[in-house]
Amino acid sequence: MQAMEINRITSYDGFKDYKNYLGNVQKEEQATRILVGMGTCGIAAGAEEVHKAILDEIDKRNLKDIEITKTGCVGLCAKEPVIEIKQGDTSVLYGDVTPDRARELVNESIIEGNIIKEWEIGEDDSFFASQTRIVLENCGKIDPESLEEAVINNAYEGLAKAVSKMGQQEVIDELKDSKLRGRGGAGFPTGIKWQFAYDNDSDKKYVICNADEGDPGAFMDRSVLEGDPHKLLEGMAICGYAIGADEGYIYCRAEYPLAIKRLKKAINDAEELGLLGENILGSGFDFNISLRLGAGAFVCGEETALIASIEGQRGEPRPKPPFPAQSGLNGKPTIINNVETLSNVSDIISKGADWFTGFGTEDSPGTKVFALAGKIKNNGLVEIPMGTKLGEIIFDIGGGLENNGTFKAAQTGGPSGGCIPIEYLNVPIDYESLQELGTIMGSGGLIVMDEQTCMIDLAKYFVDFCKDESCGKCTPCRIGTTRMLEVLERISNGEGTLQDLDLLEEMGEVIQDSAFCGLGQTAPNPVMSTLRYFREEYEEHILDNYCEASRCASMFDSPCQNACPANVDVPLYIDFIRQGKYKQAYKVIQKENPLALICGRVCYNLCEGACNRNSIDEALAIRELKRFASDYVMKNEGGFPVPEVKEEKNKKVAVVGSGPSGLTTAFYLRKKGYDVTIFEALPVVGGMLAVGIPEYRLPKDLLNEEITVLTTMGVEIIVDTKVGEDITLKELKEQGFEALYMGVGAHQDRELNIEGKELDGVYSGVDILRDINLGKDLNMKNKKVAIVGGGNVAIDVARNMVRLGAEEVNVVYRRTLDDMPAHREEIEEAQYEQVKMNCLVNPVKIKGNNGQVQAIECVEIEGGEFDTSGRRKPKEIPGSNFTMEADVVVSAIGQNVECNFNCQEVEVEVNDSNLIETDEQLQTNLDWIFAGGDCVKGPSTVIESIKDGKDAAREIDMYLGGDGNIITEMDIERELSGPILEEEKPRVKMPTILLSERKRGFKEVEKGYSEDMAVEESRRCLRCDVEIK
Amino acid sequence: MAEEKIKLYIDNIPVEVNKGETILKAAEKAGKYIPTLCYLEDINELGACRVCVVELKDSDQIVASCTTPAQEDMQVKTNSKKVRDTRKMNMEFLLSDHDVNCTSCIRNEDCELREVAEFMGIRDIRFTGEKNHREVDKSTPSIMRDPDKCILCRRCVSVCENIQSVKAIVPDGRGFETTVNPSFYDELGDSPCVYCGQCSTVCPTGAITEVEYTEEVWDAIFDTDKHVVVQTAPAVRVGLAEAFNAEPGTIVTGQMVAALKKLGFDKVFDTNFTADLTIMEEGTELIERINNGGTLPLFTSCSPGWIKFLEHQYPEAIDHLSSCKSPQQMFGAVAKSYYAEKNNIDKEDLVVVSIMPCTAKKFEATRDEMSEDVDYSLTTRELGRMIKQAGLDIMNLEKEKHDELLGVSSGAADIFGATGGVMEAALRTAYEILTGEELKKIDFDQVRGLKGLKEASVMINDMEIKVAVAHGLGNARIILDKMKNGEEYHFVEFMACPGGCIGGGGQPLAASENVLERRMNAIYDIDRKKKLRKSHENPYIQKIYEEYFEEPGSHKAHKLLHTTYQSRGI
Repeated sequence: MQAMEINRITSYDGFKDYKNYLGNVQKEEQATRILVGMGTCGIAAGAEEVHKAILDEIDKRNLKDIEITKTGCVGLCAKEPVIEIKQGDTSVLYGDVTPDRARELVNESIIEGNIIKEWEIGEDDSFFASQTRIVLENCGKIDPESLEEAVINNAYEGLAKAVSKMGQQEVIDELKDSKLRGRGGAGFPTGIKWQFAYDNDSDKKYVICNADEGDPGAFMDRSVLEGDPHKLLEGMAICGYAIGADEGYIYCRAEYPLAIKRLKKAINDAEELGLLGENILGSGFDFNISLRLGAGAFVCGEETALIASIEGQRGEPRPKPPFPAQSGLNGKPTIINNVETLSNVSDIISKGADWFTGFGTEDSPGTKVFALAGKIKNNGLVEIPMGTKLGEIIFDIGGGLENNGTFKAAQTGGPSGGCIPIEYLNVPIDYESLQELGTIMGSGGLIVMDEQTCMIDLAKYFVDFCKDESCGKCTPCRIGTTRMLEVLERISNGEGTLQDLDLLEEMGEVIQDSAFCGLGQTAPNPVMSTLRYFREEYEEHILDNYCEASRCASMFDSPCQNACPANVDVPLYIDFIRQGKYKQAYKVIQKENPLALICGRVCYNLCEGACNRNSIDEALAIRELKRFASDYVMKNEGGFPVPEVKEEKNKKVAVVGSGPSGLTTAFYLRKKGYDVTIFEALPVVGGMLAVGIPEYRLPKDLLNEEITVLTTMGVEIIVDTKVGEDITLKELKEQGFEALYMGVGAHQDRELNIEGKELDGVYSGVDILRDINLGKDLNMKNKKVAIVGGGNVAIDVARNMVRLGAEEVNVVYRRTLDDMPAHREEIEEAQYEQVKMNCLVNPVKIKGNNGQVQAIECVEIEGGEFDTSGRRKPKEIPGSNFTMEADVVVSAIGQNVECNFNCQEVEVEVNDSNLIETDEQLQTNLDWIFAGGDCVKGPSTVIESIKDGKDAAREIDMYLGGDGNIITEMDIERELSGPILEEEKPRVKMPTILLSERKRGFKEVEKGYSEDMAVEESRRCLRCDVEIK
Repeated sequence: MAEEKIKLYIDNIPVEVNKGETILKAAEKAGKYIPTLCYLEDINELGACRVCVVELKDSDQIVASCTTPAQEDMQVKTNSKKVRDTRKMNMEFLLSDHDVNCTSCIRNEDCELREVAEFMGIRDIRFTGEKNHREVDKSTPSIMRDPDKCILCRRCVSVCENIQSVKAIVPDGRGFETTVNPSFYDELGDSPCVYCGQCSTVCPTGAITEVEYTEEVWDAIFDTDKHVVVQTAPAVRVGLAEAFNAEPGTIVTGQMVAALKKLGFDKVFDTNFTADLTIMEEGTELIERINNGGTLPLFTSCSPGWIKFLEHQYPEAIDHLSSCKSPQQMFGAVAKSYYAEKNNIDKEDLVVVSIMPCTAKKFEATRDEMSEDVDYSLTTRELGRMIKQAGLDIMNLEKEKHDELLGVSSGAADIFGATGGVMEAALRTAYEILTGEELKKIDFDQVRGLKGLKEASVMINDMEIKVAVAHGLGNARIILDKMKNGEEYHFVEFMACPGGCIGGGGQPLAASENVLERRMNAIYDIDRKKKLRKSHENPYIQKIYEEYFEEPGSHKAHKLLHTTYQSRGI
């Protein structure tokens, strides 16, 4: 906008005239306008280059009447640089703008008038739609360096009203009525604070704005200072007027140069116009604002320390009382509020307290700005009404977790706050609710954490921060935080004891109770809250020396191995592949996992989730490499190596079930020299591997290759023999079996309990998979199939149906696609195979005709409250029923274990969920019977079942007098065989068969790596095992 | 106006205090002991150590009693479980970063940290983590710092900054690494520290102490080739008893002399003698300056801490300083000349030891300008230790008198030990010399007492002599700044320590205002009871002028009894 010549405004009417004048000028000037977000964050993301590209392109195209405006930040950091193009009444926001894209936008959008949809950030995106912007209203929308533009957008309206039309007490009353509470942390009512300062008679009073934003991950104040500085200045001036102060300070951290520059300009502009300085708007009220730069001491965010710092003293807190409102800067009554608090004031005065209390909750009206950071998709600044649920912020506004991670906890309040675990996603964000959970609102940092966050590591980080930032004045903060950190480090180094947890708690209480200021009093919060919600994780570190998140480096060699339930030494075998020593590679796997070929095909690779390569480009293709090594050895090296059986022990062990768990137990016990017999109820060996997992993922003939290793070692497998029917536990005991491992799978479907379930054409998922695997001919040609459920069985059934020729395959699932428990890759493959995912839909009735299924009636679902798994509870939308045609309905809503092995007098104890009860040693109520896998935990993954099988072998060995050492260590030097590749290099893609081929039959979808591909991929390994050591 | 009263309950004991007074004060009134470490009344009320915490019954809140004002109807618990647990853990925190070598610590006997730990029944320190370690600062001849024993109570910092206005030591660094350091310097010896030792008297531990020379003095005593004489400063006789748990203000002159003799000193003389001598020289200097238009006002030069302060902070005012050596140094000079010659003692075999209430005297004895006068300067505290080491029960010793020749003194010399005393002694003499008349009212009450600044004017002949007295360097700074703003005086007495030498940095610890008053009263008591109360009337002073110096300000007097100063900068 054109700046106009204007003298100081000296009256309320003058201000109104000026504003009207600006409004008229703006109407006349309605031109195309490009707003470039140039907060510090935008600039860091490349906004300056974008800005230049736009200018150049406009110049090159010789375009006229286009205004380019640098604005503050709109808050969507994840998509910076962000620009907004306004033409007439339309306005489009674009994210991730590069200089190239900017040039194209000038051409496409401005010259051609088209919107480039794929770069657009819709205003109705839940990121914006779920926010309510009061403080951030103008951020990213106006030129922060233009006072005129600020005035058009209501700046100084409140101040003009206050000084011209309201008395001091009236302003304070308005603030009190608004129930505005301090946004800096503790939430003290602002109006009451102002009243104290007003009531304290003094020749001099001050207003201080605390802009010493120091929480790690918090940057909301910076955004306001950079994006809308006049809002803050106005708030301060109103405060000054209300309490009778004529001088204000903004204590801003020196690390915010852009904010400082814009503040300085804003102060100058406002002074020139008579909105600050002497005799504001002719009211007789004087108010001058100056800046003070803080050198970055966190403790200077504490109000008395901040005052000491402004006075030129060492930044240390002083005793309260006296409170600053009584005796603050230079011993005079002083109001300290933070940026966000003061930025709410102008609207409260201009629009009234009633307007303000229309937002938020009864006790905490208004909004709160949060800096969303951590493992979240839409990281950035968001402003939400108080009372918004935590889950809504994370999932609706934040878009959920980055990389489809699982939410573990959120930290609010920065180092002074605490964490909120998944069980509390429904907590409304307000001061009291957060306090109840043991955390605080703080200035609004919100750090989202996924399963890869170790809570001990987190506590360590924050305590370390506070320890470093302690001013050193009081004992508990100075020494106590150091001692806390030392205990945490001890635990994280595997040297902790359970007494340490009590000590931590005791220290935490003493520091909270007796530290001098807020910094110290809150420093233990991260420890206390992680102890409160994640005590088991602490215990796991102490008792099992295990850090699930792979953060505590002394507890593992590499994160992939640490994540693997079977403890496979991943980097070592990857390195053998790199060296072309495939048999060695297989042996390394086989040492910990006898089913390498199988896991190379069906494992859900927790290892890859933990892979450090994720932070560079993408995880190493660990599963694919495992498969390659297995396939290569099988085909080219004369089959799999057969481990040597130790000296025969002449002791008999029975294994019930030939699934992954049973096979593993049998493998390790046989290796130790036991006589092992596996009893399998089905006619085929492999349990769920054989009858659950589809052929196109795991060809059956390959399955037998690894089972042959066991039989070669001397394991006896008896099929078609159901324990409990064909032979009883008692009989097995009598036959001389000294121990027995129960490794039964979950082969029974949970019943779909709705009308019509008895109709022809209604199947159970597990049954149908078994039938298909056992070779039953099911013809689905031209049929419409509906599958109910979102787990792996549902997806397996769906993909089988595609291969059986179904005309249409619908998966019906009551939650969202992201909530599906099935594995991501499987869902994606199914979608590729044209399976339709009908999410947020629940079946209510199966309709039939002449006893035959005809359709399925469903109801639409909306997400209700969050449940303890972090997903929204399905809530039916009344009257939204609709019918979906279906000839076949398959129920796949969960599995159960058949427990009919219990007969005669030998009874294994079973719990309410029909699962076997064991102790930590996997021992059942009968000392000679051990159990693991599905029948203890419910449906588990292959690798988890293998882990249980291993653990059982260890326990059974010890039960029978052995040492429990079932792993034969290999003598391998852990060293690098080649350079580590730290630059980006894409993962070698697994080749798959075409869609047409998939529809024709059950051929294995993945084709496997070639030798070249495998070696190339193996070179991507970062060898964390060597580096960490 | 009557102060507003507040009634509250300490462990259910009702107690009334003035509005604004702290819970700690209230507890004191209620007779309940609350342990403190950082607290120093009126000087250091920071709430840093957190061992004085108490619990408020209504809110279960833990607060520091030393900084929390009492409130009406407050219910305070000083010995609840929460209070005990909190205090104990904070104490464990402190001890976990403390060099706990108590057996070899100079403060072994009177360590407040140890006392508080015992009060709390600390039997185990549950933390074995990192300890700060820093080198002991032995850079000065007067005081040394052992940062590993520092508990960061900040008493020293407050005294140095607020009382002395020197700011030689400040809190430095952050968090666990926080330390108290000479500001901007590595060592105290490089800093503008004046060695007054006030920090050492308030330190609750052995972190700041005097540099000890007792072993060297024992060696000299046991060396049969050496003739060892000792001088005792006026303030020592009213402070020493406190080192033996006697009431402050107990006068032990005779017992002290007896003890010194039993320790094996060959002669026990009195610094008071040279105090009288100082009056002769300084009085003459004053008269000369007044008569001959010399630099005025004249500043006294008895207090070495004060001199060093001036040399650092106001070097431009050095000309105002009297050129007279302090009594300690005059004694050394006289002993090694007059006394040695008179008794045919080889100067090389003569060892002069002084017992001073002062740590800066150690430095003074090493000053280049006069380093031969005194060999060892010990503090009152060190003498106390030597007496204990000798197994003497000082309080029950038969009193003895100082040896003659350098041991007889006037009451004017005794009052050198209290603020205003030098001024009063000088006035007694100057008046009589200038007027030739006998002074009727010998007590100059205007310059007595613990008021920080005292000003008076005295008519001598028809001339109004304006004088001022300052004790504590903060007050000295006020006078110097007043002078910069045009205030005129003839004569100003400066003492580095609050109360003068009776409150010196070498005196037994913990001198509250009440203690200072009692020591001061004792000093004036000694003066009042003496027949000889004016320096110029001391027969041995007259004798030394007759036999040796001829007259005050003579060439010989100048050579032995006067000195020069140096600008030191900050």
